[in-house]
Amino acid sequence: MGDASRLLADYGPAFGQALFLTWKLTLASFVPGFLLGVVVAVLRLLPLPPLRFALTVYVEIFRNIPSVALLIFIVFALPDLNVVIDYEPSVVLTLALVCSAFTADYVRTGINTVDGGQIEAALSLGMRPITVITSVVLPQALRAVVQPMTSLLIALMLSTSLASQVPFPGRELTALVAKIANDSAAGMAAFALAAALYVASGLLIAWAGATLEKKVRILR
Amino acid sequence: MSRTLEDILFGAPRPRAIAITRVMSVVAAGVLLLMAAGIVARFRSAGQLDGRLWEFFGWQTTWAFLAKGLLGTLASAAMAGVIALTLGLLLLLGRLAPSRLLRWPSIAVIEFLRGTPTLLLIYVCFLVLPSVGIKISTYWMLTLPIGLSTAAVVAEVYRAGVLAVPRGQTDAALSLGMTPIQGFFLIVFPQAVRYIVPALVAQLVIVVKDTTFGYVVTYGELMQNAKVLIANYHSLVPVYLVVAALYCLVNYATSWASRRLGRPVH
Repeated sequence: MGDASRLLADYGPAFGQALFLTWKLTLASFVPGFLLGVVVAVLRLLPLPPLRFALTVYVEIFRNIPSVALLIFIVFALPDLNVVIDYEPSVVLTLALVCSAFTADYVRTGINTVDGGQIEAALSLGMRPITVITSVVLPQALRAVVQPMTSLLIALMLSTSLASQVPFPGRELTALVAKIANDSAAGMAAFALAAALYVASGLLIAWAGATLEKKVRILR
Repeated sequence: MSRTLEDILFGAPRPRAIAITRVMSVVAAGVLLLMAAGIVARFRSAGQLDGRLWEFFGWQTTWAFLAKGLLGTLASAAMAGVIALTLGLLLLLGRLAPSRLLRWPSIAVIEFLRGTPTLLLIYVCFLVLPSVGIKISTYWMLTLPIGLSTAAVVAEVYRAGVLAVPRGQTDAALSLGMTPIQGFFLIVFPQAVRYIVPALVAQLVIVVKDTTFGYVVTYGELMQNAKVLIANYHSLVPVYLVVAALYCLVNYATSWASRRLGRPVH
């Protein structure tokens, strides 16, 4: 018990900041990643073969590349191409790109749940295809993907741990544990606390997702 | 026969729409080509297309070294997969056990391993365990955390599969005189596995991705070997590009295989 109280006395505020940074990175990458993913999913519907091909390549690349490899490329290789992005934006960019690829995939699955008859009905009412997509297909598709998007958000929250791989002025939870384990003997206690904070954040997101799901789901 | 959504939306265009689509396609192709050209020009102006930076990819030793790294990646991923599948089954059995003494600890372990980043577990094996006197090799520093955190996810995947098997199957097994254990292993679980093969393979892709952290513990996998190549030849961009492409290929092939397996069995 002495370990834990000493840890809290020494690093309590640092843990607060680390948790806050973890959440901040999660949100900062989820929001643009989600929006970009929806845009990609919609653009992939258009009957433009070159665009479809390019977006398929985009989705497959960012779904299959390990996020660490992408982050390392952005941080260490892009400067050689005269593109210099600061560390924190690099982490956010990495996570947002990966998030957008998975979002595009999930939204596509959601789009597939929309019954074809509805689209025929909308078209025969004189709606243009673009209007059909934005006001008939998308609203239903987005309602159908709440659960996979919740899992994606949790995975993204856990992935912010890769921010510990770049020298960043602020420390998120994983980087903080690594530092404490390096500096002192309190590594185990620090790990337990960080793990508890991660698990609690994940359960919070899962609860919020389940609540939203109950509100918006379409019973068929 | 059901038509795809795109087909319904755009399947019967008017002549004007056909013309617009054609023009837009050409414009899109043009813009994409311009972007590609822009990237190539950027590579050129930064001097990243110099033969010096690429020539060692013509040497056999380079590829042998990268292949060794890939082998290290696969060795770690395979072992992590084995750990995940077996430990996942144990966790599932605990999770489904009628006794609370077994069930609650299993739920706690699953939620803990699932809710903690793999990288954090790797740091524990790498930094914390040695400080309390437990020494393991770099291979296990990487493989064990990945196997553990995947096991928790696999346990949940198994559970989804088991819950998808109709309840009547268990009842039928029991009424034939099988014990609950026999019914589970002979009747329910084999059917459950059929449902979840695609999800399990998808999990394997995540395992391969996670082994990228091998460079954290200096285990000789693809990423670590890439770093060695970079240090030797001072060729950052080309090496990272090739390695990223290799990862994408391996994972794409795995996902492709999982889609093939995902086709209905019956």
